[in-house]
Amino acid sequence: MTTTIIWTIAIITILGTVLAIVLYLVAEKFKVEEDPRIDQVESVLPGANCGGCGQAGCRAFAQFCVESEDMDKCFCPVGGNDVMQKVAATLGREVAAKDPMVAVVRCNGTCENRPKTNEYGGHQSCRVKAALYSGDTGCSFGCLGCGDCVAACQFGAISMDPQTGLPVVDEEKCTACGACVKACPKAIIELRNKGRKNMRVFVSCVNKDKGAVARKACKAACIGCGKCAKVCAFEAITIENNLAYIDFSKCKLCKKCVAECPTGAIHAVNFPVLKPKPAAPAPVAAQNPAPVVSSEAEGRVEKSVEPIKKEE
Amino acid sequence: MKTFSIGGIHPNDSKISKDCKIEILPLPSKVFISVAQHLGAPATPVVKAGDVVKAGQVIAEPAGFISAYVHSSVSGTVKSVGPRKDIAGNNMTHIEIDVEGDEWAEGIDLSDTLVTAIPEDNKEILEKIKLNGVVGLGGATFPTHVKLCPPPGKKADCLILNGAECEPYLTSDYRIMLERSKEIVVGAAIMKQVLGNCPAVIGIEENKPEAIKAMTAAVSELQSAGKAYSGISVMTLKKKYPQGGEKQLIDAVMKRQVKSMGLPIDVGAVVQNVATSLAVYEAVQKNKPLVTNVLTVTGDCLPMENQHNYQFRIGMPLSYIAEHAGGIPESAVKVISGGPMMGKAIANLDATTVKGSSSLLYLTAEQTVRNAETACIRCGKCAEACPMGLEPFLLQKYARNSMMDELEENAIQDCIECGCCLYSCPANIPLLDIIRIAKGDVIRIIRGRAAKK
Repeated sequence: MTTTIIWTIAIITILGTVLAIVLYLVAEKFKVEEDPRIDQVESVLPGANCGGCGQAGCRAFAQFCVESEDMDKCFCPVGGNDVMQKVAATLGREVAAKDPMVAVVRCNGTCENRPKTNEYGGHQSCRVKAALYSGDTGCSFGCLGCGDCVAACQFGAISMDPQTGLPVVDEEKCTACGACVKACPKAIIELRNKGRKNMRVFVSCVNKDKGAVARKACKAACIGCGKCAKVCAFEAITIENNLAYIDFSKCKLCKKCVAECPTGAIHAVNFPVLKPKPAAPAPVAAQNPAPVVSSEAEGRVEKSVEPIKKEE
Repeated sequence: MKTFSIGGIHPNDSKISKDCKIEILPLPSKVFISVAQHLGAPATPVVKAGDVVKAGQVIAEPAGFISAYVHSSVSGTVKSVGPRKDIAGNNMTHIEIDVEGDEWAEGIDLSDTLVTAIPEDNKEILEKIKLNGVVGLGGATFPTHVKLCPPPGKKADCLILNGAECEPYLTSDYRIMLERSKEIVVGAAIMKQVLGNCPAVIGIEENKPEAIKAMTAAVSELQSAGKAYSGISVMTLKKKYPQGGEKQLIDAVMKRQVKSMGLPIDVGAVVQNVATSLAVYEAVQKNKPLVTNVLTVTGDCLPMENQHNYQFRIGMPLSYIAEHAGGIPESAVKVISGGPMMGKAIANLDATTVKGSSSLLYLTAEQTVRNAETACIRCGKCAEACPMGLEPFLLQKYARNSMMDELEENAIQDCIECGCCLYSCPANIPLLDIIRIAKGDVIRIIRGRAAKK
């Protein structure tokens, strides 16, 4: 009995020692060398794994940052400048601050502006709908309204407004990861500069049809008349294929184009509400504190722009 | 009786308009001819506003290898060349022509006499098919001359003429098989000769006994007339959807299976629709370009006197045809171009007919309602119905989770979009809608990978 116990202990000990040596040798031979900085960088990233940076996830992005020579090519839209500063500090490099971005829905084809020409009865998905036909209104460029962007957003920043049938971006929650931009088959969502105090001016239309055709399909369509481009003092507006586009890097937020647009296709958001006085171009209007940003506030301020315009 | 080996469904065939003779539609005051009437690159317009054109004159030239000529279907003056919304509401270049009289270009034989002597030079035949803009009229509108030139090293063992017309409601192929049977047989003989005198089989579903009789009579009559017609036979096929699918037809007639991502010619088959055969006959024997085709105006909600089979010219507005046929019935909520299984709902009735137009089908609210989707109960009906042997319930799961590798392993790229899965699903899962999108993605990935190599 005792001998059995002794033998067992001895054999197990020898077996354990031999296997430990084998394991050690194998581990040495097939050791994976990994830069310890990858772990360090990953620990400061948000960990959302959203893919907004263009990499397969946060760890892949960390590896990309470590291996990349040029820090300008690496940007985590979710973490923003703060996180990028931390990443740069971990790696002992410098990084220039980038302007914060936000997703902007460039369609104002509300149920009121854009009457339906047919009824869509198929599967409620923008991609499926877009593959079948041009949509249930006369405009073949605008929002299809099935909410693929809402499903794509991991941050709960987009919701469909049941009243307008259009998606609304919550600026507080939007991280500018670009998932909605990729999800939209009509490419109506764009990442634009958040702007000074969140104030932005943009063309809320992507219709490339000729003016009359676009106008017939939607009351709020850009008709490519070019009035905005003429009135802009900073050459920020270009007209291509019957469609105006405002370059946000050149726009000085003077809002002259907003007043000039005959269809109200140009939207100014988050500007402080002015007293009903002919709207003087308000580049310094930002002296007033900007209203708290939320999707609802955005809607209200947006609407307040129109009466000012009509007075002129 | 022969049929394909896996899957398939049995919808009610509803061939209501089968006894309506083909009528010729009068000319409208204006036509709008699209430059994209075929698979491949849209043709390039060669006329401009103000030009006077005759019927049968080339107005747009092919813009690539897979592309086709487009001819004017009327005589008159070109009013404009510009964007116009097509059947799906998307902008496409259309050539607008004001109709003046009905004068045809020179060299076109408009008589009814049957020309049975086939030109000997195959190159000349192919050139005529190409110059006259013949495309496949079975649905895909693939340029016919490309299909009739097998790639080097491959040989056609059999030409299959598709007279199955397995889609419910449609009767245009049935009518031409009854009324133009001899022309179709001559067209088959022409294509057979181009393909190196392989045998030709005309496959017709059993629910069209008169067409089978007419085609058999035409074949035997022409066989006594000349040697070129030997080797053509008529085959009765079982009534089962999608009997007229290219791969299904090859399986039924030749008992051969086309491999994944393969072409029919890989197994020695060339499949052409009977309407294409008629177009080939007209192009080669009569030098008449493809500017006319036959379309069915039908639907359960349409009174019998308003059911029609029309010979139309390309570029006629659909609303004009609907008006001529007696208007759109009030109970119709959806108008379909093509059959109810694979056709497309028309978003815009101002759109015009193209070479491949096959029907105006009116469906009622009851027929088009989509019930709410419920959970998959794994009954396997979709897998039983799939004629390609796929597992749609699995594919839709993978597709919803963007699992591209698994989708490819499960051969989503083989889907022929016949709609059998959607038809058979008791849980109303939009299987085809989801699978079609994922199939496009997977094919893009496969092509991208092939391009990289």
